Amino acid sequence: MSAKRPSGVSSPARRALPTRLGSRVAYFTPAAIILVFLLTLPLFLRTDYVSLFTKIIIFALLAMSLDLVFGYSGLWCFGQAGLFGVAAYTVAILVVKVGITSFWIVAPCAVGVAVITAALFGVLGLRSKEIYFMLITFAFGQLIYVAVYTTSKYTGGSNGLTGISYPDLGFAVHFNERSYYYFTLVAVVIAAILLYKIIKSPFGYSLMGIRDNEIRAKSLGYNTWARRFIAFILSGFFAGVAGVLYVYYRNNIAPSDVGLDYSGLVIMMVIIGGVGTLWGGVVGSAAILFLQYFVSLYTTQRWPLILGCLFIAAVFLAKDGIYPRFTKWWKRVCRYETNGGNGGGQDMRGKPGGDTYQRVATLFRGASRNDAGNGERDEATSEVTSSDG
Amino acid sequence: MTRPVARSLSPGAGCITWAREPPGRRESLVSAVYSILSGISYGMVLFLLSAGVSIVFGLMNIINLAHGMLFMLAGYAGIEIMKTTGSFWLALVVGILAAGVAGLVIERGFLRTLYAKQLSQILVCFGFIYIITNLHLWFYGPIPKAMPIPEVLTNSVPVGPYNFSYYRIMIIAVGFLLCGFLYWVQERTRVGAIVRAGMEKPEMVNAMGINLMAVNIAAFFVASCLSGLAGVLGTGVIGGISYFTGGNYVFLAIAVCIIGGVGSIQGALAGALIIGVFESLAKTFYPPLALYIMYLLMALVIMFRPSGLLGRK
Repeated sequence: MSAKRPSGVSSPARRALPTRLGSRVAYFTPAAIILVFLLTLPLFLRTDYVSLFTKIIIFALLAMSLDLVFGYSGLWCFGQAGLFGVAAYTVAILVVKVGITSFWIVAPCAVGVAVITAALFGVLGLRSKEIYFMLITFAFGQLIYVAVYTTSKYTGGSNGLTGISYPDLGFAVHFNERSYYYFTLVAVVIAAILLYKIIKSPFGYSLMGIRDNEIRAKSLGYNTWARRFIAFILSGFFAGVAGVLYVYYRNNIAPSDVGLDYSGLVIMMVIIGGVGTLWGGVVGSAAILFLQYFVSLYTTQRWPLILGCLFIAAVFLAKDGIYPRFTKWWKRVCRYETNGGNGGGQDMRGKPGGDTYQRVATLFRGASRNDAGNGERDEATSEVTSSDG
Repeated sequence: MTRPVARSLSPGAGCITWAREPPGRRESLVSAVYSILSGISYGMVLFLLSAGVSIVFGLMNIINLAHGMLFMLAGYAGIEIMKTTGSFWLALVVGILAAGVAGLVIERGFLRTLYAKQLSQILVCFGFIYIITNLHLWFYGPIPKAMPIPEVLTNSVPVGPYNFSYYRIMIIAVGFLLCGFLYWVQERTRVGAIVRAGMEKPEMVNAMGINLMAVNIAAFFVASCLSGLAGVLGTGVIGGISYFTGGNYVFLAIAVCIIGGVGSIQGALAGALIIGVFESLAKTFYPPLALYIMYLLMALVIMFRPSGLLGRK
C-alpha cells in the first residue's frame, strides 16, 4: 500500500471560472443521465428488469459500504457479506420467528445488530492490518456463515427463512416490484449521499491520510485506530442497511447469501468498479449483476466458473477499474469539446487519486497550521509533504 | 455455489458419541485419550496443508488461497489412480505430483507477475477457487468421494472400547517426520538459511548472487507437494472429498496460520495441533462447541498475540 504518488502542486490560477463551470456541467452530466434513467426505468421496463435493478442498487450500496473500508481506509475486509447477512437475518428472525412486522422497529434493530457485529469484529480485527486483517475478517465471515448454518432453530439452517413480505411501513403503502424499487432507490440514494459526505469530510480525508501514511497521521496527533474503527462501524451500518433492503427484496434468506461467496462478489464489484472511488461500487455492481443476469438466461450452473475467470481477467486487464477509466475518458472528451481557454488543461484532475492526495496533503498542512500557527512552519511542512509522497 | 458445512464431520470419522448413559470417570479418560489421538492425526493433515501456506507466505508474501484447491485436486487424482490401478503408493505419488505441477502452473502462469500486489494475488486465487470448485462440481457431482485405505493399514490398535487405525498412526508418523525434516531443512541447512534470509531481506539475498526466484519457485513447488500429500492422505481422515472441501480447508489453513503465526514450521505445527486436538475434544465432550472452538481460539490468539503463537513475521 505504499504506492508512490506525486503530490501535485496546486495551481488555482490555471483554473479559470468558465472552464470550471464547464467542467462542473460535464462532470454532472453522466450522473444526471444515470439518475434520470434510474428514476424513470420502472415506467418502461419489464418487472424482472425492475427487480434486477433493485438488486443492483442494493449491491451498489453494499459495495460502496465496503469501499469505505476497502478503498478509503486500506482495510481489506473479506467479511462484508457477514455484516450484510447479520442484518438480513435479524429482519428475517424478527419477522418470521418473533412476529414483529413493523418496519420502524425491525430495520433499526437489524442495522443496530450489524453495527454491533462490526464493532466486535473491529475490536478484534483492527489489532492487525492488511493481510492479517484480511485473514481475520475472512474468518469472521466464515463464523457468521457457520453460525447461521448451525443455529437452525432460529435461522432455519440450510433452508434459511422464507415468508418475509414487503416492509410494513404502518401506513397504507401497497408494495409491488415497482414501488419497492422506488423505496430502495430512495434509501440507497440517501445512504450514498451520506457516504459521499463522509468521504468528503475531514474525517474521510484523514482516513485516506492514515491509509497512505499512518506514521505521519500519528505524528500529527490522529488516533489512527479510533478512526479506522469508526470507519469500520460506519461501513457496518451501511452494509446493514443494504442487508435490510436485500431481505425484503428477496422475501427469504439462506446461508449462501451471507457466506464468503457474497463477500468475494462484493469485493469483485469494488475492484471492477474502481477501488477508492465511491461510485465505482455502483458501476461494479451493475456490471457484475447484469452479467450474472444474462448468463443465468443460458446457464445458472456455470456462473461461478465465469465469475472465477472474471476475477482473474479483472486483475490482469482492468487494473484501476471501470469508473476511473470512464472518468478519464470523459474528461478527455469534455476537454476536447470545451477546449477554448483551458490553457492546456493540465490541472490536478488528470490523475486518478491525484486530487484526493492533494486534498489529504492540504488537510495535513492545515492540521500542522493549527499546531504552529505561523506561515514558515506551514511552508516547511508542505515541503516535506511534497518531497516524500 | 452453496457450501454445506461438512467440516463439522471432519475429524468425526473416528469420534464417538454416547447414546445412553453419561460415561464414568475412567471411560471419559479413555475417550479423552482417544479423541486427543484422533485430534492429533487430524491436526497432522492440517499441518501438511498449512505448512505450505505458511512457507509461501513467509517467503514470497503470497497468501495462496488456491492451496486448498491443490489439496482437493490431489485427493481426486489419488482416488482416480487408486480406482484404476489399485496401488496406494502410485496414487500417493501421482497425487503429490499433480498438486505440485498445478501449483507451479498457478505460480508461473499467474502469481509471478503479482509479487508485490497482495490484493491482486488474493483475487486471482479467489478466481481459481471459483473455477476449480465449479469444475469439480461439473465433472464429479456433489457427492463426496472417499479414498480406499490400503490393506496393510486397515488394522487398528484398541484404545479402550475404541479402535485407532494404523492409517491414523501412519499419518501421525508421517506428519511428525516431515515436520522434523522441514524444521531441520529450515534451521540447519544452507537452503534453509537462504529461505530464512529471503523472508527477512530478499534484496540482500539477491545481492549475494543467490537466485532467490529459483528458491521461491522451489519453495512453492514443495509447498504444493505438501498440500498434495495432505490431500491424498487426508481423505481417509476427513471423511471424503467433495467440491467444497477445497474452500473449507483453505479456510482451516488460514485459521492455523492465524493461531500458529506465519512463516515458520513450528508455528504451523502448533496451530494445526491446537485446532485438531481442541476440535476433537470438543466434539467428544461438548459437541455444540465443536464448530466454534476454532473461532474462540483464534479470537484469544488475536487478542493476546496478534502475530500468532510462533510467528516469524
